[in-house]
Amino acid sequence: MTKPILIVGGGPAGLAAAHSLGTVGRSSILVEKEDKLGGAPILSGYAKLVPSGEWAKDAIGGMVDRVEGDSNIKVLTGTTVTKFDGTPGNFTAEFSNGDNAQVEAAVLCSGFTHFDSINKPEWGFGTFPDVVTTTQVEQMISSGQGVRCPSDGRKPQRVAILLCVGSRDRQIGREWCSKICCTVSSNLAMEIREELPECHVYIYYMDIRTFGLYETKYYWRSQEEFKVKYIKARIAEVTSDGEKLIVKGEDTLVKRPITIPFDMVVHAIGMDPNVDNPQLADIFGVDLEEHGHIAAENRYGAMGHTSRPGVFVAGAATGPETIDDSIAQGHAAAMSVLSELHQPVDKSA
Amino acid sequence: MPIHEKSLIRPENLKTHEELVIDGVDVSGHWSTFIESRVVSDYNEAMEDEIAALPGGENIHRCWQCGSCTNSCTVNAINPDFNPRYWIYLIRMGMEDELLRDKDIIWQCVSCNKCTYACPRDVFPEGVMKATAHWLERKGHTPKSPSMHFDEVFTEQVIKTGKIEESRTIRRFFSRTKQGLMQPWMIEMVKRLLRNLPVGLLTRMGLATFVAPKTRGWSSAAAAMQEYIDEQHEKQEQALSS
Ligand SMILES: Cc1cc2nc3c(=O)[nH]c(=O)nc-3n(C[C@H](O)[C@H](O)[C@H](O)COP(=O)(O)OP(=O)(O)OC[C@H]3O[C@@H](n4cnc5c(N)ncnc54)[C@H](O)[C@@H]3O)c2cc1C
Ligand code: SF4
Ligand code: SF4
Ligand code: SF4
Repeated sequence: MTKPILIVGGGPAGLAAAHSLGTVGRSSILVEKEDKLGGAPILSGYAKLVPSGEWAKDAIGGMVDRVEGDSNIKVLTGTTVTKFDGTPGNFTAEFSNGDNAQVEAAVLCSGFTHFDSINKPEWGFGTFPDVVTTTQVEQMISSGQGVRCPSDGRKPQRVAILLCVGSRDRQIGREWCSKICCTVSSNLAMEIREELPECHVYIYYMDIRTFGLYETKYYWRSQEEFKVKYIKARIAEVTSDGEKLIVKGEDTLVKRPITIPFDMVVHAIGMDPNVDNPQLADIFGVDLEEHGHIAAENRYGAMGHTSRPGVFVAGAATGPETIDDSIAQGHAAAMSVLSELHQPVDKSA
Repeated sequence: MPIHEKSLIRPENLKTHEELVIDGVDVSGHWSTFIESRVVSDYNEAMEDEIAALPGGENIHRCWQCGSCTNSCTVNAINPDFNPRYWIYLIRMGMEDELLRDKDIIWQCVSCNKCTYACPRDVFPEGVMKATAHWLERKGHTPKSPSMHFDEVFTEQVIKTGKIEESRTIRRFFSRTKQGLMQPWMIEMVKRLLRNLPVGLLTRMGLATFVAPKTRGWSSAAAAMQEYIDEQHEKQEQALSS
């Protein structure tokens, strides 16, 4: 009997990899450190996803149900891998619950960690209750509560969304673009305008990166149909006059300093490397790339290889990725596992 | 400190105290010159909506500030202060004071529509310029422009008679814009008309000038037009006063 494949992380990438293997009759063990599956979209309570417009709990929830109903997949929640040794086709994994298992290969789908806005104190998060993150706004929408100022529950009249919070910022050692936050922010801006038509939404940007087809659906649509305003400025600081939040910066298009009052300021937080990556790198013996993500090898030959044969990677574990791409990479990594297992000798030789 | 770059700063932002002593040091005159900072401290959200409510301004919210309009603009090539891209931004963000600084050049748009063809977002900048010029007039920031007078004289006449009688249009236009009728080119034109036109035609023209005949059955058409104009006007007034 063939041994199962180990999958670490039950987000979109891990769910896709497990499902792919299941469809060809290969068994897998899906290890998830939190107590439920679904990854960031479920654990952080995202609202409607980009670009499908489906609610996260339906779209990703559907992937979770499919995996939980698949007898080929053994799900271990609340569990991590503590030790991983062996060679391709013959690995032994030990788990935090004391069990162990023989596995043929491993796929790391361990995702990312949300940037913690506390690390940009000048933008007021943690000091002023009405400075929130995109994740919090997602939760306000997905919970049905609606977008409200946390300080007193009022409907905001004017909202500022600050892009690139925790991304593209050498000051805090984060040079990468988190890829999805421009699009997510335009989407949230439209959601806010839809729920609160009287509320004006301003997006402060350095560049707008609603790449590919997202341009029409998010950047253009948010302006043309929802009258969201985009201002080219990187905000210097967010303070308060006791009543309103005061956003200070330079409007670069008119070369003028600005100090504008707002009811709510939203940080479009970026995607950090998973805080567990150093441990994961240690346990699985894989290299990290320069920013701290799990390094994916040359992608032209096959998807999802790491520096160690038999250990694969997919999704946001490799760097900022969208859900769609994470899912595609999960499926692709499953394919790479299958093809490698049929020629394990060349690889380990 | 004397400021050497004074010429680059708008005069109203330069503050100088004739008599000023700070901590016992006399800094009267140019020694006390300082530059007032021009911080944008709020957005006036009504402004964009007001201009969008006037004909031509409808698509202003689409602008993403690429500058193609300014770059292609006929007037900008002659006067670099004529900058549609910049004004569109000021309007969108509601920076009214800044826009008013340029109120005396905005009407200079020659409606060549080069910007319209260059704009990647179909903002219709030429229309926005027109709407902005009208907005300035209707808010009382600028006097009625000659072209506005002309449009009014023209429309009044059409509504009244269903016809355009050029000499009446010109006379009224001149009188409203306070220009004398006896301009040399005018005298010359009339002389040559008298000399060269067949008598029959001249008689008909003269008759039209003095009798101002109406198109037959015009009154119902005129009423419909007037109703439409009033309706539009009402809508715009509402948008401008809200
Ligand atoms: C505010 C916000 C909104 C977003 N909205 C969208 C959107 O609308 N559309 C879109 O395409 N993308 C969106 N994204 C990006 C999206 O979150 C990611 O593309 C997606 O979550 C990546 O999936 P993943 O499976 O690779 O990683 P994750 O979703 O991060 O899942 C990783 C899983 O691994 C688990 N894990 C981590 N470490 C370990 C460990 N050591 N052992 C065991 N398990 C572990 C985690 O608990 C988690 O369940 C958004 C991101 C943010 C920040
Ligand atoms: S996607 Fe946009 S907001 Fe996010 S890091 Fe890149 S440029 Fe900044
Ligand atoms: S229409 Fe007016 S604004 Fe446009 S290019 Fe011509 S002069 Fe410039
Ligand atoms: S060309 Fe169009 S989009 Fe570009 S700045 Fe001018 S009006 Fe705006």
